[in-house]
Amino acid sequence: MPESSPSEEATLGPSRKTHNARVLAFMVILSFSCALILSILASALAKPKEQAKDLERSKQMMIAAKLLDYQGRFLIRNDEDKYIYAKYEKDGLLTPGTNKDYATNSQILDIHKRRIIPMLVNEKGGLISFEKAGINPDDYLSKYKKSGYYAQPFKLIYKILPNTVEEKKKNGKAADGYVIPINGFGLWDAIYGYLALKPDGNTVIGITWYEQKETPGLGANIAEEPWQSLFPGKVIFQPDSQGRTDFKTAPLGIKVVKGKVSEVLGDIPKAKNAVDGMAGATLTGNGVTDAYSTVLNAYRPFLIKLHENYLNKQTEAK
Amino acid sequence: MAATKVSHLSYFNNQLWGGNQVLVAVLGICSALGVTNRLSVSITMGLSVSFVTAFSSLFVSFLRKVTPDSVRMITQLAIISVFVIIIDQFLQAYFFSISKIMSVFVGLIITNCIVMGRTEGMAKNVSPWPAFLDGLGAGLGYAGVLCIVGAIRELFGFGQLLGYQVIPLSWYATSESPNGYDNFALMVSPPAAFFILGGMIWIFNLVNKKA
Repeated sequence: MPESSPSEEATLGPSRKTHNARVLAFMVILSFSCALILSILASALAKPKEQAKDLERSKQMMIAAKLLDYQGRFLIRNDEDKYIYAKYEKDGLLTPGTNKDYATNSQILDIHKRRIIPMLVNEKGGLISFEKAGINPDDYLSKYKKSGYYAQPFKLIYKILPNTVEEKKKNGKAADGYVIPINGFGLWDAIYGYLALKPDGNTVIGITWYEQKETPGLGANIAEEPWQSLFPGKVIFQPDSQGRTDFKTAPLGIKVVKGKVSEVLGDIPKAKNAVDGMAGATLTGNGVTDAYSTVLNAYRPFLIKLHENYLNKQTEAK
Repeated sequence: MAATKVSHLSYFNNQLWGGNQVLVAVLGICSALGVTNRLSVSITMGLSVSFVTAFSSLFVSFLRKVTPDSVRMITQLAIISVFVIIIDQFLQAYFFSISKIMSVFVGLIITNCIVMGRTEGMAKNVSPWPAFLDGLGAGLGYAGVLCIVGAIRELFGFGQLLGYQVIPLSWYATSESPNGYDNFALMVSPPAAFFILGGMIWIFNLVNKKA
C-alpha cells in the first residue's frame, strides 16, 4: 500500500471517521439483534428441550438396565434368563412380543416410572428411600448432577423392580438389579452415564453414557452400541490371579485397556474386569476408567452388603 | 410483469438442476459424505441446509444496502449462525435422536460452502425475493443429491430404506446357505458417498450434454 501524504489523510479523515462509526454502529446493532433472537429462542425451547433430555436419560437408563434395546423395543428375560423382545400391556406389564413392537415415548416413561425407583445409599451402605432421608428428590437430582451424586453423604441409586407379580413373589422383595449414576471427565468435557448391576453387586448388566462431548467417530463411540455391548457380564470388583475376589480390598471399577483385552491380559481372571479400548480415544478411555473407579469406590459399603445378602439368599435356597 | 415472474422462478430452477451446487460447483461435499449413510438423516440435513440458505439469503439481501462492504462477510456469518443455531435448538428439542446422529454436522452447516457461496455470490447483489428463491433452490438441490446418495447407501449398506427392511431377510446368507446376499459394507462408510457422487456427476454431465 502506498503511503498517503499528510494532506490526503487530512481530507479523508472525517469521512473515514464517520464511515468507521457507521460500521461500528451496524455491527453493534446486528450483534444485539442476533443475541436477542437467540435468547428468545432459547427461553422458548427450554421446556421441550428439557423434556427431550429427560426422555433421553430415561431411555439410556433403561438401556443400561436392559429393559429397552437400542432400537427402542422393550426387553424381558425368559425362563432361560435370555433377553427377548416384549410388548407393553396395560398397567405397565411387559409380555413376550416380537421384534416389531417398538415402544412409544409415553410407554417408555411409564415403564421407567414403575420399574426404576430412585433411592439413596447412606454412608454405611444401607438403602433408604427419599422420604425417610427427608430429601426432596427433584431438588437433590438437579442440585448434585454436576458435582456427582457419589460425593454426597446420601448417594443416589436406582432400584430396578422385577416385571411381573410372580417374579416379585419368587425373588421376595429383592430387586432385579441396581443402576448407579456415573460421572467423570472425558477428553473435552464432563461425561455422564449409567451402570446397571445384577443383584450380586458385582456383575454388570449394561452401561450407557447419556451425555458426552467426546470427539465424534473416536471418543464419542462410548455412546454407541458396539462399544457398550462389551460390558455386560464384566465384574466391577477386580479378581486376584486365582480368580477369587476379596470384596473389602479389591480394586473397584472397570478398566478400559489400550488395545484389546485378549491381547493385553489374555485369559487371566483380571480380564473379566477390563474392556477393549477404542483406537484413537485413549484419553476418553482413561476418563471412563477413572470415572468408574471413583464413583464405584464411593458405593463400596453398599456393594459389599448387597453381595453378602446375595450369598446368604443363595445358601438359604440350598 | 409476467417476464419478471418467470425470471424469478428461474433463480430457483437453475439451482435445482443446471447449476446444482453439489454436482456442478462440487460444494458441500464434506457433509454429503458424513451424513448420508441413512436416508432419514440425509433428508433432515437437506431440509436444515435449505432452511438456512433460504433464510440467510433473504436476510442478507434485506440488509444488502445498509451493510458496510468491509464487514459484509462477518455480517453474513452472523446471520447464517443465527439460523444454524435455530435449527440446532429445534432439532434438540423435537428430534433428539436425529440430532444425536447428526452431532457436529448441524453446527457445521455454518461452514458449509453452499450457504456462504449463495449469500456472498448471489444474495448480496439481488433483491430479497430472488435471493430467497435462489437460496431455497440451492438448499433443495443439495437435499436432492443427499437423498439419492443416502437412499443408495442405506439400501445397499443396510438393506433398508428409512429404517424399513427392503431387501427380504430370506435372501441373506446364513450358515445353511452361505452363497446368499450380503450387505455391501463399503456403503456404510463415508468413502462410498465419494464414489456415488462421482458417478452422479458423470451421469449429470452425460444428460446435460445431450440436452
